[in-house]
Amino acid sequence: MTAYRLSAGGLVDRSAPLTFTFDGQSMQGFEGDTLASGLLANDRMLVGRSFKYHRPRGIVSAGVSEPNALVTLGLGARSDPNTKATVAELYAGLDARSQNRWPSLKYDVGAVNGLLSPFLSAGFYYKTFMWPAAFWEKVYEPIIRKAAGLGRAVLERDPETYEKCWAHCDLLVIGSGPTGLMAALSAGRAGLRVVLADEGFRHGGSLLSETTPIDGAPAAAFAAAAITELEALPNVTLMTRTTVFGWYDDNVFGALERVQKHVATPSAKLPVERLWRIAARRALLATGAEERPLVFGGNDRPGVMMAGALSTYANRYGVAAGTSVAIFTNGSAGYRTAADLSAHGISVAAIIDSRAESPDVAPSGTRVIRGGSIVDTKGKLRLSGLVVERAGFEEIIDCDAIGMSGGFSPVIHLACQRGAKPLWSEALKAFVAPDVGQGFGVAGSAAGLYSLPACLRDGADKAQAFANDLGFSTSPADLPVVGAEPDPSFTALWYVAGAKSKAFVDFQNDVHVSDLGLALREGFGHVEHAKRYTTNGMATDQGKLSGINATGLLAAMQGISPADVGTTTFRPFYTPVPFGALAGTSRDEHAAPKRVSPLHGWAARNGAVFIDSGLWYRPSWFARAGEKTWRESVDREVLTVRANVGLCDVSTLGKIEVFGPDAAEFLNRVYCNPFLKLPVGKARYGLMLREDGMVYDDGTTSRLGPEHFVVTTTTALAGGVLSHMEYCAQVLWPDLNLRFCSVSDQWAQMAIAGPKARLVVQALVEDDVSNAAFPFLAAKAVTLKGGLKGRLFRISFSGELAYELAVPAGYGEAVADALMEAGRAHGICAYGLEALNVLRIEKGHVTHAELDGRVTPDDVGFGRMLSSQKADFIGKRLSTRFGLTAADRMQMVGLKPIEKDKDIRAGAHLLREGAKPSTLNDQGYVSSACHSPVLGQFIALGFLKSGRERYGEKVVIWDRLRGEETLAEVCSPVFVDPANARLNL
Amino acid sequence: MVHQYADRHTLEGLVPADVSAGADHLAVAARQAIVVVLAAPGQEAAVAHLLASDEDLSARFSAPGEWLVISGLQTPELLHQALAALLGDMAHCIDQSHGRVLLRLTGLNARAILAKGAGLDLHPSAFSVGQSANVLCGHISVNLARVGDDAFEIVVMRSFADTLLHDLRDMGRAFDLTTAFLA
Repeated sequence: MTAYRLSAGGLVDRSAPLTFTFDGQSMQGFEGDTLASGLLANDRMLVGRSFKYHRPRGIVSAGVSEPNALVTLGLGARSDPNTKATVAELYAGLDARSQNRWPSLKYDVGAVNGLLSPFLSAGFYYKTFMWPAAFWEKVYEPIIRKAAGLGRAVLERDPETYEKCWAHCDLLVIGSGPTGLMAALSAGRAGLRVVLADEGFRHGGSLLSETTPIDGAPAAAFAAAAITELEALPNVTLMTRTTVFGWYDDNVFGALERVQKHVATPSAKLPVERLWRIAARRALLATGAEERPLVFGGNDRPGVMMAGALSTYANRYGVAAGTSVAIFTNGSAGYRTAADLSAHGISVAAIIDSRAESPDVAPSGTRVIRGGSIVDTKGKLRLSGLVVERAGFEEIIDCDAIGMSGGFSPVIHLACQRGAKPLWSEALKAFVAPDVGQGFGVAGSAAGLYSLPACLRDGADKAQAFANDLGFSTSPADLPVVGAEPDPSFTALWYVAGAKSKAFVDFQNDVHVSDLGLALREGFGHVEHAKRYTTNGMATDQGKLSGINATGLLAAMQGISPADVGTTTFRPFYTPVPFGALAGTSRDEHAAPKRVSPLHGWAARNGAVFIDSGLWYRPSWFARAGEKTWRESVDREVLTVRANVGLCDVSTLGKIEVFGPDAAEFLNRVYCNPFLKLPVGKARYGLMLREDGMVYDDGTTSRLGPEHFVVTTTTALAGGVLSHMEYCAQVLWPDLNLRFCSVSDQWAQMAIAGPKARLVVQALVEDDVSNAAFPFLAAKAVTLKGGLKGRLFRISFSGELAYELAVPAGYGEAVADALMEAGRAHGICAYGLEALNVLRIEKGHVTHAELDGRVTPDDVGFGRMLSSQKADFIGKRLSTRFGLTAADRMQMVGLKPIEKDKDIRAGAHLLREGAKPSTLNDQGYVSSACHSPVLGQFIALGFLKSGRERYGEKVVIWDRLRGEETLAEVCSPVFVDPANARLNL
Repeated sequence: MVHQYADRHTLEGLVPADVSAGADHLAVAARQAIVVVLAAPGQEAAVAHLLASDEDLSARFSAPGEWLVISGLQTPELLHQALAALLGDMAHCIDQSHGRVLLRLTGLNARAILAKGAGLDLHPSAFSVGQSANVLCGHISVNLARVGDDAFEIVVMRSFADTLLHDLRDMGRAFDLTTAFLA
């Protein structure tokens, strides 16, 4: 009554024994084993507990369709839950643990759920735990989650590394069984760039368990020879352990390569898993066919397996799943398994054939029960026998394994991932792939050809057709000679009548026949509804075994064809893909690129505390010894700029140079204010609108020559404005003669602001920067003392006398150092984003806190900038629409708390005094707020309905987040120097 | 007052100066002249022809009517002057020597390394010597040119160079990629 390792046979390396552990128990396997074959060789039939009822479950399959044998591999942070034992490659030291059981796999408390199963039918939770509603989240769901489930995700940081990679080929062959190998050989010989990918750790697919000889040699030897030939072709790339999981636009396929999942200690030089994007001119699906389980009473007991899996374990791994095996089949495949087992000396207890008549021949001496069916199985934690019924006569047959074969379904998932629905073939009693165009074909068993010679021929033919289609010449395929094979036909058998215990359809999610019946009865009979109502096919195996039987049962229950029921939708991923692989190297600080300002080193040397600002890291403030809070540093920086001079890095602003005879006309249309008459050597503030009349971006634009401008954008929209301008130039006005390009990275740019700014700038710049020679809004190329060429702009964001000096980026740090040196005698300080923000709020200057996509120029006090003289500009037409000119629009105002020590935060809303907070009573909001060291109190900018008419009025600043209400006075948004006297010093 | 300013490479301190190049090597140009040439509308073909006719110029196509012209020998000023003289009114020339960083990746595994970041087919039949393209390398937009069978040059915006260097080293770690400044 045991599973055991056969004395000979299989493709495992018997000279390379491996020790591994399962639930702490040490076991022996061989190189070439999967964890599943290793477990079976050690007579480990029980490997897990089911999701809902905690029923004992054993290995069912020998591949990725496995619903039961899910284990956790590895320890600690490296733990990998829900790994299929049938796929996991055995290696020395592998540590595997069973899941969803407590306290142990053998004695599982949760199995009490099985006794409650009459109550735990489909939809049970939804119907039962509906009231009270709040209890679902807090009480019911946590308990259910604890009872039902699979492996536990690890909460520790994933220590593994992942990467992504691109590949390109003429032909991608998916699956290296007989069809895929012949296709790769044909295409490779014709000179195509071929990628052959297979999910297994060894190429060959079904050939590795095949007993029919090819060219007089074992099929595995044919596969090995084919691989040797393919390896020698430079135009062929072979990929093992690589699952092609998705088909995407432009014939790009996603694939997951398990580079180091099969080693105990991964090398740091390689990723553990690699995500491939394979751009294929043509692709061939050679994924074979999946054997179907049979839905009979007690079909989930450990020991009940797919017949093909029994053959694979015996032929490929040299493992017998039992000493006495019964076969339950509806076609010839069961007889092939019986023959395979007999050949290995494994006793076949009986072949139970659902068909009353069949031409198939059983191995000599094997009992065949035609027209019979299994109605129950015996045993507790593993199978000990079955109950067979024929014409009302029941008989118990002792056995320790059952091989079930319910026919075959082509594996067509990938071909149906982009919307095409599978088609029902009455001849094949299966769903087949529809025609999905010339880029992607289906061959071999995946196309419903189940005989070995037919697969080999089909692979060769389809690859040749692709080669010819792509312009490669081919010679007739040299097809190997294969012996005769039995007729692969079967009769559909969806439901085995007379079940005496639960007949499972979906093993992993514990869905049985009566759940589907309940779904149908309650109006959820549509295959997509039934899936969600019963959870059939929603487990990690995504219904690879259960999907077709659910369709067949739903059809049979309604007396209609499976064609009328259809399948659920096939979507990526074919098998689970870890999030780590999808992220690749883009994690932690590498989730996005970091942009480095040319003045970064200067800022760091001056004590900058950096802050994320889009992709940039910008100095937030420059802490000095003794300053205990950031506010102390910021207040000092602001006061220094107002009293002396400060230096700020403004390199991150977008800079776009515009050339050409129509450059001025172009800018005149892009900005809402006029630019045609901007004199050479002058800068002008510009406001860019969207077509809908809302402000898009602002910045200064300088005319360096008659046909040469430099536009500055905000840091945030540097890319967006460039794209917008490209759109305008290429699509809206292709007739304008101009060209432009971004020079954002070419220049290091420094703002030097404060009443003493001129002294500092003049110390470095050769040209005269006096107020007379270089007045407010002057802009021109200058020469620094020593000869360095730069650009100087007299523009101010702080409201102080200010210059912006630009030098080629590499010189930025040296020039900034020199400015600091020159300014030392004048009390210069470096200032960061926080001080910049305080300075501009004090002056009522806007940023994207105000220009948030909802404001018009008039809302921010720039209504007069809208040029009525211009024939057209972007945003002109829609600026006049009702609503954008309404009198009660929210307008930008200043806000000062009545009690001086009260603070204000951005995001708070404005209410009339005494008004109840409500959407209806909302009067506006605070957009920016800061502590003004000049005024000695908090100040804010905000938007208030008809705000400019309401200076002097008191409003309530209502901060729901902090539960605060502050009374404030509405005032002009310009708090400091409203006459702009300081600009023109 | 200081009159001579040091030109600091953005990767200074991140790339060793004197590492002997391995089989697969990433060289960072210590300085280079890079000028963007924008053909005036209608002059695209004429500009392309002139750029191709001068053997001293390495012009990388980067967009319709737009090239990155690179010189490892000339100063930015001289290259800019030479191009302005060559092209006259037919094109606008913008110095980007400080705004870009030039990297040269060589070795038998150069293609395999780049395939980890760039979706472009780098097979010689699809991307031959002399071809260039603007592509994403991971998150970062670069101009990639094939300058030899196993040699590629990458031009990247200065502010992204630090991250790109990190990414390329990561992409090359399986092949023991070495990096150094190009003398």
